[in-house]
Amino acid sequence: MADITPTAPLGGHDARFGETRLTEVTDLALVSIAIPLGGEDALTSQLERAFALPLPDARTATSAKGRRLIRLSPDQLMLMWQDTDPDPARGVAAALDGTGYVTTQTGAWVALDLAGPLTLPALERVCPLALHPDSFPPGRFARTVMEHLSVVILNTGPDAMRLLSASSSAGSFLHMLETSLRNVSD
Amino acid sequence: MIIDHPLLGPRDAAEFTVLGDAALIHRPDGMAEGAEAAFHDYVYLRDNPAGLHRELWYHEQGDRSWLVVTRNTLTHEITEVALARDVARAEGRSR
Amino acid sequence: MSAPRLPGALVDTGETLKFTWNGRQMSGHPGDTLASALLANGQRLVARSFKYHRPRGIFSAGSEEPNALVQLRRGAAQEPNTRATVAELFDGLHASSQNHRGSLNHDLLAVNDLMAPFFSAGFYYKTFMWPAKFWEKLYEPLIRNAAGLGRLSGQEDPDSYDHGFLHCDLLIIGAGPAGLAAALAAGRAGLRVILADEDFRMGGRLNEESYSIGDRSGADWAATACAELSAMALVRLMTRTTVQGAYDHGIYSALERCTDHLADSSGKPRQVLWRIYARRALLCAGATERSIAFGNNDRPGIMLAGAVRAYVNRFGVAPGRKVAVFTNNDDGWRTATDLLAKGVRVTAVIDTRKGGTRDLDGVRVDHGRQILDTSGRKDLKSITMDGGIRVEADCLAVSGGWSPNVHISSHMRGRPRWREDTAGFVTGGELPWGLSAAGAANGTLTLAAALGEGQATANRIAEDLGHAPDRTPLPRAEDEPFQITPFWHVTASTARAFVDLQNDVTTKDIAQSHREGFGAVEHLKRYTTLGMATDQGKTSNVLGLAILAEVSGRTIPETGTTIFRPPYTPVAIGAYAGRARGRDFRPTRLTPSHAWALENGASFTESGPWMRAEWFARPGEQGWRDSVDREVRMTRAGVGVCDVTTLGKIDIQGRDAAAFLNRIYANPFLKLPVGKVRYGLMLREDGFADDDGTTARLSETHYVMTTTTANAVPVFRRLEFARQCLWPDLDVHLISTTDAWAQFAVAGPNSRALLSRVVDDMDLSNDAFPFMACAEVTVFGGTPARLFRISFSGELAYEIAVPSRYGDAMIRALMQVGKDLDVVPYGLEALGVMRIEKGHAAGNELNGQTTAQMLGLGGMVSQKKDAIGTVLSQREEMTRDDGLRLVGLRPLERSEKLSAGAHLLNPGDPQDMAHDQGWISSVAWSPTLSHAIALGFLKNGAARHGEVILAHDPLRGRSQKVEVTSPHMVDPEGTRQRG
Repeated sequence: MADITPTAPLGGHDARFGETRLTEVTDLALVSIAIPLGGEDALTSQLERAFALPLPDARTATSAKGRRLIRLSPDQLMLMWQDTDPDPARGVAAALDGTGYVTTQTGAWVALDLAGPLTLPALERVCPLALHPDSFPPGRFARTVMEHLSVVILNTGPDAMRLLSASSSAGSFLHMLETSLRNVSD
Repeated sequence: MIIDHPLLGPRDAAEFTVLGDAALIHRPDGMAEGAEAAFHDYVYLRDNPAGLHRELWYHEQGDRSWLVVTRNTLTHEITEVALARDVARAEGRSR
Repeated sequence: MSAPRLPGALVDTGETLKFTWNGRQMSGHPGDTLASALLANGQRLVARSFKYHRPRGIFSAGSEEPNALVQLRRGAAQEPNTRATVAELFDGLHASSQNHRGSLNHDLLAVNDLMAPFFSAGFYYKTFMWPAKFWEKLYEPLIRNAAGLGRLSGQEDPDSYDHGFLHCDLLIIGAGPAGLAAALAAGRAGLRVILADEDFRMGGRLNEESYSIGDRSGADWAATACAELSAMALVRLMTRTTVQGAYDHGIYSALERCTDHLADSSGKPRQVLWRIYARRALLCAGATERSIAFGNNDRPGIMLAGAVRAYVNRFGVAPGRKVAVFTNNDDGWRTATDLLAKGVRVTAVIDTRKGGTRDLDGVRVDHGRQILDTSGRKDLKSITMDGGIRVEADCLAVSGGWSPNVHISSHMRGRPRWREDTAGFVTGGELPWGLSAAGAANGTLTLAAALGEGQATANRIAEDLGHAPDRTPLPRAEDEPFQITPFWHVTASTARAFVDLQNDVTTKDIAQSHREGFGAVEHLKRYTTLGMATDQGKTSNVLGLAILAEVSGRTIPETGTTIFRPPYTPVAIGAYAGRARGRDFRPTRLTPSHAWALENGASFTESGPWMRAEWFARPGEQGWRDSVDREVRMTRAGVGVCDVTTLGKIDIQGRDAAAFLNRIYANPFLKLPVGKVRYGLMLREDGFADDDGTTARLSETHYVMTTTTANAVPVFRRLEFARQCLWPDLDVHLISTTDAWAQFAVAGPNSRALLSRVVDDMDLSNDAFPFMACAEVTVFGGTPARLFRISFSGELAYEIAVPSRYGDAMIRALMQVGKDLDVVPYGLEALGVMRIEKGHAAGNELNGQTTAQMLGLGGMVSQKKDAIGTVLSQREEMTRDDGLRLVGLRPLERSEKLSAGAHLLNPGDPQDMAHDQGWISSVAWSPTLSHAIALGFLKNGAARHGEVILAHDPLRGRSQKVEVTSPHMVDPEGTRQRG
C-alpha cells in the first residue's frame, strides 16, 4: 500500500544572486479565517485566548508565538506558521471553537523568501507599491499584482520580504522574481 | 489612475476591474409585481454622464473588496471612494 | 580623418573610438554623439528627405532632430530612424544613412524633387484614384515601397526590455539649470527626488553654452551639482531617461536607455520603461529652438543657432569654416560671439529686426535684412539676402526663437498659452495634477532667472509637502538679454521654404492647405502632415502655425496648437511589451500532476493560462485519435483517471450560505442535504446561461462550489459582488480553493474497486455512498481527502481531492494501485468525447448565447424563488416551446465526419440565414458508437428526434444529411453512473 508524501511547488528552490538569496519556504501552514457577520468581537477574543494574537488591521501583520496573522480582505484573515500538517485548518477550527470559518490554504500558495541587497531593486521592477522602509516598514504587508500574478508581500525585516503567490503558477512566479534579480545584478 | 482605497490607501487602478454604474447595487426584487420591467431597466438601461459618475470597482488583485468610486469621466478626478458594502447598507440593501 | 577639437570640449580627446559610417571607418571620442563625430569627420551630407529626397545635413544637437535619421547597428539589433544627435558614440558603432535608392551621394529618387509640384499637400487625396483597379496591383505597392524612412531588420528583437515602478515626492523632468537648482533645493529639503534627463550628461544647455555660474563654467557647476545630488540617499539621478508622458493622478512614464551606448547588452535589459508615481512634478524640460522659413533653407550646413553653439562648445567641433548667422532675436548673436571666441570665422550676422545698432568686430552685420535664398545643393556654399547681396557661408546658424517644451504639461487636456513677450507658448489650461514648470519650459528663458525659479518652485513644493525649504543662496549668474521680434517667413522667397524638414512640408503647402479649406490647425497637420513625422514637429509646429495664422489673418492664440500626446520621443515596441513576449506573455498555471503527465507521454493544450493534458500517447500510436479513442474505450471498460484540478473550486461558508446559493443558482439549493452534491445552473441577470458546476454540502454551513475552468475567476468576482453589494447582511464567506486541492476524476466500471483500495475505512457500496454523495475522508493511511460521487463521463465515477501538495504522489499511487484494474490516464480530449456521448453541456454550449430552455434545463429554473437571471429568463422569446433546443446528431452516412459550426437546415430550403434551423456546437468521433456524433441546437429540437435534416458547412464546402437524436447518445437512462 503506497504512502503518499507532499511535494513543495518549487521543490525547495534555493538560489543566490550575489549576496541576495531567494528561498522557497516549504513548511509554511496557511489557514484562512473568515470573520462571521457580527462576530468580530467574539473572534477577536478567541484569537487572543487561543493564540495570543491581536486582530490585525488592513495593512499590518500581528504576530505571537511563531504565528503571523494578516487581513486578506475586510472580513477574512490568514494565519501563517511553521507546520507541515496537511490539514492545519482542523486544529485551528478546534481552537477557534466556532468563532470563525476556516479553510486550509497551504496547498493554494507557494512562498518565497527574498533577502539581501538586491531585494528592493529587484522588486522595483515588478511591484507597483512603494517599498522603501518609510512606506513599507517591517510587519507591513500588501496584496498586489506583479507581472499579472496576484502576490502577497510581507516585510519580514531589513531588506527581506516574504512573497506568496498561487501555487499553480509557481513556475511563473519564480521566473518573474529571478528575472528581476538577474536584471538588477551586475 | 490611482484609487485611494479607504482601508489600504492609494493603489494603482491596474489592481482593479471595473463593473460600471453603482446603480447596479439596486437589484430589483424578482418576486415583486412588475419585476420584468424593473429587471429590463436594471440590466439594459444606463446613464452615461460627462462628469461625475459613481461606479463599482473590484479590487481583484488586492483585498477582493468592492468599492464605490466617484469619478469625473472627463477629468478622471476621483472625489470619493467608499467600501461598496457600506454604501449598499446605507442605501438600504440588507439580506 | 577627424579634425582636432576646439578647446574646452566635454569629450575625452585622450581616448579614440572607432566607428563606421556607410562602410567608411571614422573616429571620435567618448562624450561624442554620432552627429558630433560625423561633423568632426567632415561628414555634412547625412540623409535624404522623405518626399523630395533632397540632400540633408545635421540640423540640431538634440532629440528634436528632423534630418539626421540613421540606421544604427547591424543585424537583428539594427534600428532605423535613430537620431544621430542623440546616439552616443561607442567603439565599434555601425551607422548608415537611409531613404535613398543608390548611394547617399547619388540618390536615384532625387528626381522626386523635380516632380515637387505633383507632391504638394494632400496629393494622395487627389491622385492614385484612377483607374480603380490599378490601386491594388500598382499604386499601393509603389507607395508602400516609397513610404517610410529607414528599414527594419525583419528579425526578432534580440534584446530584452524591462518595466519598473518608482515612487517619489518630486519628479524633476530635465536637468538643465532650472532642474538642477530645483533638485538641489528639494534634495537638501529632504524630499525623495527623481531627477531625469534624456541626455547622458546632466546639465542641459549648461553643457552647450558659454555661461558662467559663480566662478565656474556652467558645465562645471552642473557637474558639481550632480556630485552633491548623487551623495543624497533620497535623490535618484536618471540619465539617458526621457520622461515620455503625463497620465492621471501624478503618474508619469519614463524610458531609460540602459545599453544603447554599449556595443553589447550582455544579457541585461536594453531599456526600462518606468512608471513613476510622483506626489509632485516639476517640468524643467527647457525650450527647443525653431527655424525661419526662407528659400532653400534646408541645405546641409544650415543648422539651428543653438546647435552650432552646442557643437562648438560641448563637442569642440566647428560645423563650418565660414559661418553666417540669421536671427530675429538677441540669442542668435551668442553663436557669433562664441564662434569668434573659439577662432572660427563668422562671415555675416543678419538680424531681421530693423533699427538695430549692434556691431561685431570684423563681421559683416545687417539689421532689418532677410535671407531670400541659398546655394550649394549637397553642401551650403552661399546665402543671398534681399537686395541681391550674396555672402559666402558653409554653415548658416538660424535662430527663429525658442519654444518652451510644454508637451508633458499638455498631455492631460491642457492647452498652452501664447506669450507675446517671448514669442512662445508656455504651460496653460488644465495642468496634470501636481505638475508645475520652471525655467525655459515655463518661458523663463534667461539663466539667472531659470536657476532662481527652479529653486523657488522646489522650495514651494517642499513646504507644500511639509518640509522646510532650502535657503542656500544661489551663485551669481547672468540674465543674458533675450529680446525677440517675431519673424516667421521670408515672403519674398520664390524657392521652396521648408517648415517641417522631416516630412518635407513647405510654406506653399501651408498656404495651399488654408486655401483648400483646411485652415484649422488640426486639419493643417493632417492635410500637410506637418508635425506628424518621428520628430512630431518639435522644430516646426510653432513655425507652421504662426505661418498659418499669418496667411489666414488670425492671431497665434486664435490659431492655437494641435493636441500633444505621449510619447515625447519614439519608443521601441519592445519597451512597451517589457517581459510580455513569447512564453512570458502571461503566467502559466500547471496542475499538480503536470510533472507526472510529462513523464507519461502527455500532449498539452492551453486552457486559458492552464496547461492541460489533452491525451497520453503510447508507443506505437499513430496520431491523437489512436490515443483518445483508446482512453475512452479503456475508461468505459475499466477505469480512467483525469486531473480536473483546473475547474474552479470556491469554498463557501456561513450561516446564510444555503440562502446565498439559492439566490445564485437558478435551481433550488436550500434543501440540499449535508453529504450530498447537486448540479447547479447559474444564469446571467439577462436570463442567459452563464456557468454550471456542482456544489457539495460538507456541513450545515460549509459548501464547496465548482465552476468551469474558464469561468472560475469571473464567477468568483460575481459571487463577491452579490455578497458585498446585493445582500451585504448575509453571513456568507468565500475563498478560492482551486489551487488548494488536487482533484482527480476516477471513472469507469472499476472505479469503485480502485477507490476502495485508496480511501481509508469507507463503505463505497452504492447504498452507502450513492450517486451525488460527498464526504470528507482520508486516503492512503491518513492523508485528508474529499470524495464526491459525480460523473461527467456518464460512467460510474467519482472525484477524489487531496491537498494539492499531495497531488503528484496521488496520481502516481492511483496508477500503481490500479494497475491490475487496467487503470488508464485520460486527458481533455477523451473527457470531451465522453461528455459529448452523454450529452452534457460544456463551454461550446454555454457560450453566453444559450438559455436554460435551449439546454433542455428549462425545468430547472425555479419560479418559486428570486435568483440571478430568473426573471428575464422567462421572457416570451426565450421560453418558446419551439425555440432552439439541444439535440444529438449523427451522420446518416455513418462513415462521414461532422463539422462543428455547421448550420442546420431543412432539406430543400434555400441555404441562407433566413432559413437557419440552428447549428452544431460540439463534434467528436465516438469510439463507443463507432461513428461521428455531435451536439447542436435545433429549432423545436425536442419534437424532432428521428428527423433527417441537413448540416451545411459553407466554410469547408460540405453539406450532409444528419439524423436528429436525443443528446444523451450513450447510456441514455444513466444506469452506469447510478450503479
